[in-house]
Amino acid sequence: MSQEIVDTVTKYLTPNIPIKQISQGAEAVVFTSSAHPYLPTPEHDADGKPLQYIIKYRPPKKYRHPIIDRQLTKHRTLSEARLLSKLFLIGGINVPKLIATDPYNGCLWLEFLGEDLPNNSGFSNLKNFLWANVNDPYNDVVKSTLIKVGEQIGLLHFNDFCHGDLTSSNIVLARDDTQSNDWKVFLIDFGLGSMSKLVEDKGVDLYVLERAIISTHSAFSDKYNEWIIEGFSNVYNKHGKGGETKLKEVLKRFSDVRMRGRKRTMIG
Amino acid sequence: MVNLNTVPPRNNRDYYIAIGLEGSANKLGVGVIKCSRSAHMASGDNSHNCDVEILSNIRNTYVTPPGEGFLPRDTARHHRNWCVRIIKQALEEAEIKNPHLDIDVICFTRGPGMGAPLHSVAIAARTCSLLWDVPLVGVNHCVGHIEMGREITKAENPVVLYVSGGNTQVIAYSENRYRIFGETLDVAIGNCLDRFARTLKIPNAPSPGYNIEQLAKNCKNKDSLIELSYTVKGMDLSMSGILAYIDTLAKDLFRGNKKNRLLFDKETGEPKVTVEDLCYSLQENLFAMLVEITERAMAHVNATQVLIVGGVGSNTRLQEMMGQMCKDRANGKVHATDERFCIDNGVMIAQAGLLQYRMGDYVKDLSETVVTQKFRTDEVYVSWRE
Repeated sequence: MSQEIVDTVTKYLTPNIPIKQISQGAEAVVFTSSAHPYLPTPEHDADGKPLQYIIKYRPPKKYRHPIIDRQLTKHRTLSEARLLSKLFLIGGINVPKLIATDPYNGCLWLEFLGEDLPNNSGFSNLKNFLWANVNDPYNDVVKSTLIKVGEQIGLLHFNDFCHGDLTSSNIVLARDDTQSNDWKVFLIDFGLGSMSKLVEDKGVDLYVLERAIISTHSAFSDKYNEWIIEGFSNVYNKHGKGGETKLKEVLKRFSDVRMRGRKRTMIG
Repeated sequence: MVNLNTVPPRNNRDYYIAIGLEGSANKLGVGVIKCSRSAHMASGDNSHNCDVEILSNIRNTYVTPPGEGFLPRDTARHHRNWCVRIIKQALEEAEIKNPHLDIDVICFTRGPGMGAPLHSVAIAARTCSLLWDVPLVGVNHCVGHIEMGREITKAENPVVLYVSGGNTQVIAYSENRYRIFGETLDVAIGNCLDRFARTLKIPNAPSPGYNIEQLAKNCKNKDSLIELSYTVKGMDLSMSGILAYIDTLAKDLFRGNKKNRLLFDKETGEPKVTVEDLCYSLQENLFAMLVEITERAMAHVNATQVLIVGGVGSNTRLQEMMGQMCKDRANGKVHATDERFCIDNGVMIAQAGLLQYRMGDYVKDLSETVVTQKFRTDEVYVSWRE
């Protein structure tokens, strides 16, 4: 990342707020900070360590025309904040807690989630988690985690929300509690998300995730996608006849979208 | 370990000579390359650094009158008419006297593309192969673009943005395949620009996209934009809606539809926008979408380099925007080539075909030379990389 972006963000946040960059995504730079935007004293966790917060900053993109840039930054930050606050209230859906937002400057404060995986496998998102398990790709923890991923997406879609950019790096895993081996699945980055009742959007969502899994974890993608769809179906099937009909519609559109991929060879 | 020296050059030479025939769309290209069989190619991943020498690169474009596109039938006829002349010219320029002794391999485009033009060129390739007794290699057009781009720019492992009249894809290499991370869900970017050029009735020579670029450069009012939808869907994008909308705007402008308040002033009835403004807004909007999905793919695979290939890749505004994007990323670097290698040409087919040939993958029977209109980039097994 260029120094220029660090300078803009420090200028915007003022030097009083300590920041540490953790990643540069496509449209946003993510920092951690121990400062809370409006609470006077820093919060501490159970062990007495100061809590960390995520600052997600969308820097102005110089390649875009300023008009397009301003519009997109405002729209995406605002809609992300709105979605997060709505989703947080729905039972069962795991999203990071929203703390503060400034859409005009493209800044969001969120709760910090996840940890570092053992053996230097990196941060605990789904991508790194699957790579860390590459030697034993079909173990029970992987299976149950992927089913949970499917359930999260199922819940999201069942409540008529769409993510818009489902990839394995946009799914974060956090320990249920420190003792157990189980992971709690969180969806992050709702910058392209929307509220939508359209089957089309849901189908596209599933297709985007399927392709992301195929392209990054190609050797085991068949099984992985099967488990995700299993979890996805579980959510719908819990809601009786109506749920099953909805599920059929979504999965039908999902396979239609898959066929639409351009110049895909068709057999038969 | 990749060994690119498994198949020795013919007649005990220490270099390979390959001829490439390309004709998947309205350009007919023939190129001859020479590539030494150096020792460093015997091991390691060196396919981006083959010391290729370009002996000739001839192209003939089938240009239609303004307002018209090229039809498969007419394009095929153009290719049939020009093929022999261009092959002769390419051989002459490369100073190849005895093709049956000097040429190692004939490479032709197997797909994707328009059926009839592909077919005409494949027939020419088969004929040459039988005439000179030289082996054939069928090449995927997209892989041809990627390999030529890598050879010219020496980019080792870039994210590839492949933008042309028929394709819009963001590609990254992983485990012996060029995998498609994002692509258009409907029309290709080049197709979108070409069709808009047809509505504007601007000339198709040298290419419709180039003329739109020039019009956009001359836009007087670059501070304001005509609002178009911004349809990035994850790493994919959609362009047909934007095209349909800007098409109606252009038609309203030409027809003088005063009811359109966006184009004409409410009181005076004077037009508020010009054709240049339309071109500028369209380019800014579409290219911002392209750069964004490329950046997404880069973030996803942790890449630092971008390579732009394909006809639209010769657009300097797109290259400039990509450069600005890369500047804001750690160690970001953009690689682009000029129109000689961006726009469809025979050299790129020769380069990709030669790599394939050196790995021992060539046509053993003429029945394997059937062309195909649908041939995805990720179907090719890339044996020459690690």
